[in-house]
Amino acid sequence: MTTKPSVFWQKNPALAWREIDEVTVIISPSDSVMHELNDTGSFLWKNIDGHRSAADLAGLLAESYEVGPDVALTDTQALLEEMSLRKLVIPVPATDGGLG
Amino acid sequence: MNAPDANSAGGRQQQFELSIGCVPIRLQMADERLYNAASARYGAFTGTAAQPIPITLNDFSAAESQPPEFVYEFEGAVLRTGPNLTRFDGVRNEYALDSLLRVLLSWKLTGHTGFLLHAATVIRKGKAYVFTGRSGAGKSTVASLSPRGSVLTDEISLLRCQSGVWRAYGTPFWGEFRAAGSNTSAPVRGIFRLVQAAENRVMALRPVELLRALLPNVLFFSPEAEANRRLLKILGQAVETISGYELAFRKDRAFWEVLPE
Repeated sequence: MTTKPSVFWQKNPALAWREIDEVTVIISPSDSVMHELNDTGSFLWKNIDGHRSAADLAGLLAESYEVGPDVALTDTQALLEEMSLRKLVIPVPATDGGLG
Repeated sequence: MNAPDANSAGGRQQQFELSIGCVPIRLQMADERLYNAASARYGAFTGTAAQPIPITLNDFSAAESQPPEFVYEFEGAVLRTGPNLTRFDGVRNEYALDSLLRVLLSWKLTGHTGFLLHAATVIRKGKAYVFTGRSGAGKSTVASLSPRGSVLTDEISLLRCQSGVWRAYGTPFWGEFRAAGSNTSAPVRGIFRLVQAAENRVMALRPVELLRALLPNVLFFSPEAEANRRLLKILGQAVETISGYELAFRKDRAFWEVLPE
């Protein structure tokens, strides 16, 4: 039985970002801090859209990087936690159809 | 023209037109002392052009038809700018005027694929060498060690992309030179991050490394996400087009020998 996710993840709308030199660069205007995401972080960032849970994102990661689902979920959760601490992403209540 | 204008309710209005980085600006004010100070400070940057950005100084009769797009306050002086009108209120001296002009330019340049950078710019063989760094990094030293007449600015450079070419412009914003920059421009040869060192050495930077070097030195004052997205897009274009370097700098004239032609 699959557990329904409680949260989806979305990018913090207060940020500016851009891919430069194959690196995702994110600027936080409130404190002028520049964040850089590695390859896996960039992949997740591209797929974080307010409609996907950690498990959804881990599924995409496992598919694209050919890693096992457990490893993908662990990596995804760790990255989401790190990005959340840096206020790059925010959790939103999960809905059946996403945020629409 | 820089000439007295018609009287208004606020007193005898005078206007002064200047152009910084090909961004035309018209300052309009009734304060004789401020007018004289602005004329002296920005004399090298006078110029007339179609559709300058009109700025009213301390003119509380100026009516805004729309809410401002951007507001900035600096030590009691307030900048409000919208599509049709820009006003500087509470401007007591030329230093406050200078500060608000920098802030306004930093805002308006995002509409002209440009930005302001804490940097000295020196022209060599027709190309602009842009040296960036925080206060104390050596910008003014670079300027002072460069041939007379070759320095566009020792403090704040204006970079704009025009017809696919990034050009550096002088600005009237002073550093330790205590003299206005040169109102000319040249295509950018490279941007050099200054690092004090025991010997002169130059090392190429990847685009993302150049962006890392630029960001702390870009003048930008809006906390709004959309404005910052515009700025980041422009900076992204810049670092992917302009060659970036780190210049280990001994603060002697020999540094020119290690720079690329």
